[in-house]
Amino acid sequence: MSETPPTIPSQDEVSDRVRKEVQRAYQRRIKGLDFLLAERVHVGAMEKEVVYRDGTAMLYRYLPVEDEIYRIPLMIVTPPSNKGYIFDLASGQSFVEFMLQRGYDVYILDWNSPRKDEASLDIADYVDRFIAGSIAKICEITGEEEVTLGGYCMGGVLALIYAALNAPGPVKNFVSFATPVDFTHMHLFQAWANKDHFDVDELVEELGLIPPELMLGAFDLARPANRTAGQINLWTNMWSEDFVKSYRMFDRWAAETLPVPGAYFRTQIKELMWKNALPAGELQIGGRTVDLGRITAPILNIVAMHDHIVSHEATQPLMTQTGSNDRKEIVSKGGHVSLVAGPAALRRLWPLIDDWLAERST
Amino acid sequence: MANQEFDPFRAWQDLVQKWEIEINEWSGKMTESDQFSAMMGQATKMNLVAQKAWAERMETMLATLNMPTKSQVEDITERLDRIEDNIERMRLAMEQSGKPQARPEPSRTRKAPKKPE
Repeated sequence: MSETPPTIPSQDEVSDRVRKEVQRAYQRRIKGLDFLLAERVHVGAMEKEVVYRDGTAMLYRYLPVEDEIYRIPLMIVTPPSNKGYIFDLASGQSFVEFMLQRGYDVYILDWNSPRKDEASLDIADYVDRFIAGSIAKICEITGEEEVTLGGYCMGGVLALIYAALNAPGPVKNFVSFATPVDFTHMHLFQAWANKDHFDVDELVEELGLIPPELMLGAFDLARPANRTAGQINLWTNMWSEDFVKSYRMFDRWAAETLPVPGAYFRTQIKELMWKNALPAGELQIGGRTVDLGRITAPILNIVAMHDHIVSHEATQPLMTQTGSNDRKEIVSKGGHVSLVAGPAALRRLWPLIDDWLAERST
Repeated sequence: MANQEFDPFRAWQDLVQKWEIEINEWSGKMTESDQFSAMMGQATKMNLVAQKAWAERMETMLATLNMPTKSQVEDITERLDRIEDNIERMRLAMEQSGKPQARPEPSRTRKAPKKPE
């Protein structure tokens, strides 16, 4: 089919559009000034309380908003390098708010910046101490013996390791948001931390805690144009209060990347990235081998179509190597962060998660 | 196919988007080479050495000026963090010590909505 060339708009249409744009330009200048002078944007839509705290780990319970909730509580592990409030940015784009309104009892395992004396925390500490401690606490609060365990990105990896080591155990369902398992498909990070050129031992010995700038640099390399394009988009949409508010919240979250303990970082690089030990069934945590085949709980694997950090292929062992015979995959439009925050996920993705999880949460 | 009206403002946004995709794709290809990995390894190392040297110089300078150094501020922050941790633990322990629940717990009996057949 041949494409018709675009029509030339009439003089009235052009002047109407120009008038609108002039108005927007005024708004941009006024709101641009507001933007520069504004205080730190508030994040968080739902009421929460700390129910467990152990060093860098902080478990929040979001207060239920329904009189009748599902029996099985939902706990999400956030990546140790990021703050967990991405799951509850603001009303209308909060995963937590959505799930509370659908009748779930929601817990988020969040992280504080690790202290210098926590530089020796390893993946085993996150799995056997922080995740295990959080689940024990949830079971104590709720009187239940099972939870739905979820995780986002590296939080998903930690949750997955816990689920494998403790199977059949307390994990009733497993929900994964962009969880890398096969690290041979983490191309950018493989290039960045190439075994022949990247001296992880020296880095860890020198720094103790790995600063966020190191990891942010890698993300910028993956998408060098994003920052500039983001700022151009911000200026173009500065007239829109909703856009600016959203931009500032996401920007705050991205800027608040946390340092990670050196020992954790070393295991991540050596075992997960270089040896690809997780899908190979060779990962040793606390003297035990992590065998994904032991996981028989139902699995929901949620992947973003345009994720430049965790590709679809990197998540595939969840669908092929786990022992579960109840596995479902959702490939959602958008990028890495759009799975867990934003109005688009609220409309398209989260209702599908609710559909899947509701019948498995009673 | 329906006629599309030419919109210069939409065209500008499309242009920015296209530029973003192209630069990112170019970068993606560049990062695949071994030279890139070698360069990144060197850059990380250089950055580390430079940061360390700079931090040492700053420490000396601030000590001369009789001002607290970054590591001293970090030490105080860590002590405050520990105090905060302990207060939080005490709060949690007090809440658990038989205090009646201020808020009634919802019943955990919710059923999944029936799907249309």
